[in-house]
Amino acid sequence: MIDLETRARVQDFLFEEARRLDAGEFEAWLDLYEEDGIYWMPSQRGQTDPLNVASIIYEDHAILSIRVQRLLEARALVLTPMPYTTHLVTNVVVSMDEDGLVKAASAFLCISMQGGEQKIFAGRQTHTLAPAGDSYLIRHKRVDLVNAGSALPLMTIPI
Amino acid sequence: MHTDPSLTPEEIRAMVRPDSVHRRAYADPQIFDLEMQRIYGRQWIYLAHESQLKKPGAFFRTRLAQYEVIVTRHTDDKVYVLHNRCPHRGARICMTDSGTSRLLNCPYHAWSFNPDGTLSTVPHRESYPASFDMTDPKYHMERVPHVETYRGFIFATLNPDPRPLLDQIGPMTDIIDNLIDRAPDGEVEIADSSFSLVYKGNWKLHLENAADIFHPTFVHASSVGAARRTPAGKSKMDQDQVRTMLEANGFGKDQWEGIQLKGLANGHTYMTNFYRKGVVAHQAADPVFDRYKAALVAAHGPDKADAVLAVDRFNNIIYPNLVFNAQHQQMRVTVPLSHDTTIIRVHCFRLKGAPDEMFHRAIRFLSTLASPASMIFSDDVEMLERTQAGLDLDPSPWVDFSRGLDTETAGEGGQISGVASEMPMRNQFKAWAALMAGEAA
Ligand code: FES
Ligand SMILES: [Fe+2]
Repeated sequence: MIDLETRARVQDFLFEEARRLDAGEFEAWLDLYEEDGIYWMPSQRGQTDPLNVASIIYEDHAILSIRVQRLLEARALVLTPMPYTTHLVTNVVVSMDEDGLVKAASAFLCISMQGGEQKIFAGRQTHTLAPAGDSYLIRHKRVDLVNAGSALPLMTIPI
Repeated sequence: MHTDPSLTPEEIRAMVRPDSVHRRAYADPQIFDLEMQRIYGRQWIYLAHESQLKKPGAFFRTRLAQYEVIVTRHTDDKVYVLHNRCPHRGARICMTDSGTSRLLNCPYHAWSFNPDGTLSTVPHRESYPASFDMTDPKYHMERVPHVETYRGFIFATLNPDPRPLLDQIGPMTDIIDNLIDRAPDGEVEIADSSFSLVYKGNWKLHLENAADIFHPTFVHASSVGAARRTPAGKSKMDQDQVRTMLEANGFGKDQWEGIQLKGLANGHTYMTNFYRKGVVAHQAADPVFDRYKAALVAAHGPDKADAVLAVDRFNNIIYPNLVFNAQHQQMRVTVPLSHDTTIIRVHCFRLKGAPDEMFHRAIRFLSTLASPASMIFSDDVEMLERTQAGLDLDPSPWVDFSRGLDTETAGEGGQISGVASEMPMRNQFKAWAALMAGEAA
């Protein structure tokens, strides 16, 4: 049984992650990941294998950091004009796994705006969080797009 | 929607000059309709790979010219290409991209068809007139008349009287052979996962970009810069594959010098490779590659294995709809939807008999290059879309591709040029003009 305080802390953590992305604080966003943290956005619904099946994103901290540098440099053509987003995070369900890691399952909606064009990404995400001080760091984050597997538009700012 | 394009061969010819092409080639829906008739409707077009159709009843949905088609394997083990349209009242039959089904069922009045397109059953048979003959082809799903396979790669054409497939793709079959030769068991399998990217631009823009080695330095600068600042070995997950791939897209004049472009008959082009570092280039001290090479040597003998691995050609364009990268086990398929909308489907292959890790690298290459979040292709697509947006306007009608015009030379089987040349675009448009003017098969 997860106590209310833990649940609130986890929820705050997820909201803070979304806030950093929406504020364009991408380096600070990456700081929420452990050094060996992994971000996984599968290409298929229900995908279990990141090696034999392609992924939209399957990256560790070092590669995510390249992604973040690109975002900050804003020299990437796909980022001019710079897109901005609103991330909604909701339906949060918190549980604890055998290793004392927090699992947070939630639903998200990400609306991105760039050069007058609005895109919507939606789906579910699962965070595996390791305790760090009075908060957490992301060990693993899985993002399942509701339209995974179909033709998708370009995605610039991560979910 | 489709106008009857009636342009004379002279009008077509006048659109292509030695150093430029008229913007209508990209921006005019009428030209697109004519392309669907004379290029995609008359040439052999790659549709699918046999490994996608393992069992009878297996099907794969794609497009051929302006039509949606399904490629099927029938109980006689033959491959058929059928228009995805019910011969009864016209409903679209198949709504999924691939699968296996003993029968293809029309949801409207429940006619059902065999994988070869013949009519299997109709409900309430007695209400149809006496003249209703179920064996009459007019009640069958319409077949595309000609289907040919080259070593597992399925091509079809709407041309009622086509030239032999090899007359068209002949000069490029060596790169298909090379991919298959790279499999120790002599067989490749297309991966189940692929990416489909839609862009708002003409289909030719992608093929031109794939043959344009001038752009990466500028277009991919942000990824290259970030990759360069990242120390080798920092990522724990892929032996630095992503970082080195990003880095390889930035090259200056020195690296350029080594790259050569080649233009062949029928619009085919390729270049020599520029992924020269890291695991995608199979360097020393790579145990996975060593194991793979040992398997290849066991299969082919050391001389042939070396010769197979020495083929280092990038973006082999089998005009008009395939981009082939044998050494990275990758293939892109161009699917034109309208003059300003195109789908690029990106696949990778499993080399049978090779270590699993080789396939993992191919999957990784696919994701890095072609996912919707790719740090490479997303910038390319942005350029294609901006080019289309520019060409849709008409301040001046001519698109220039004169770079390198004075320095290209005729070599064995085609044109050769240095890396900074726009020879591949000239070569593609030479084939385009001949096909569009109706002067080629
Ligand atoms: S439209 Fe297909 S059965 Fe009637
Ligand atoms: Fe590019």
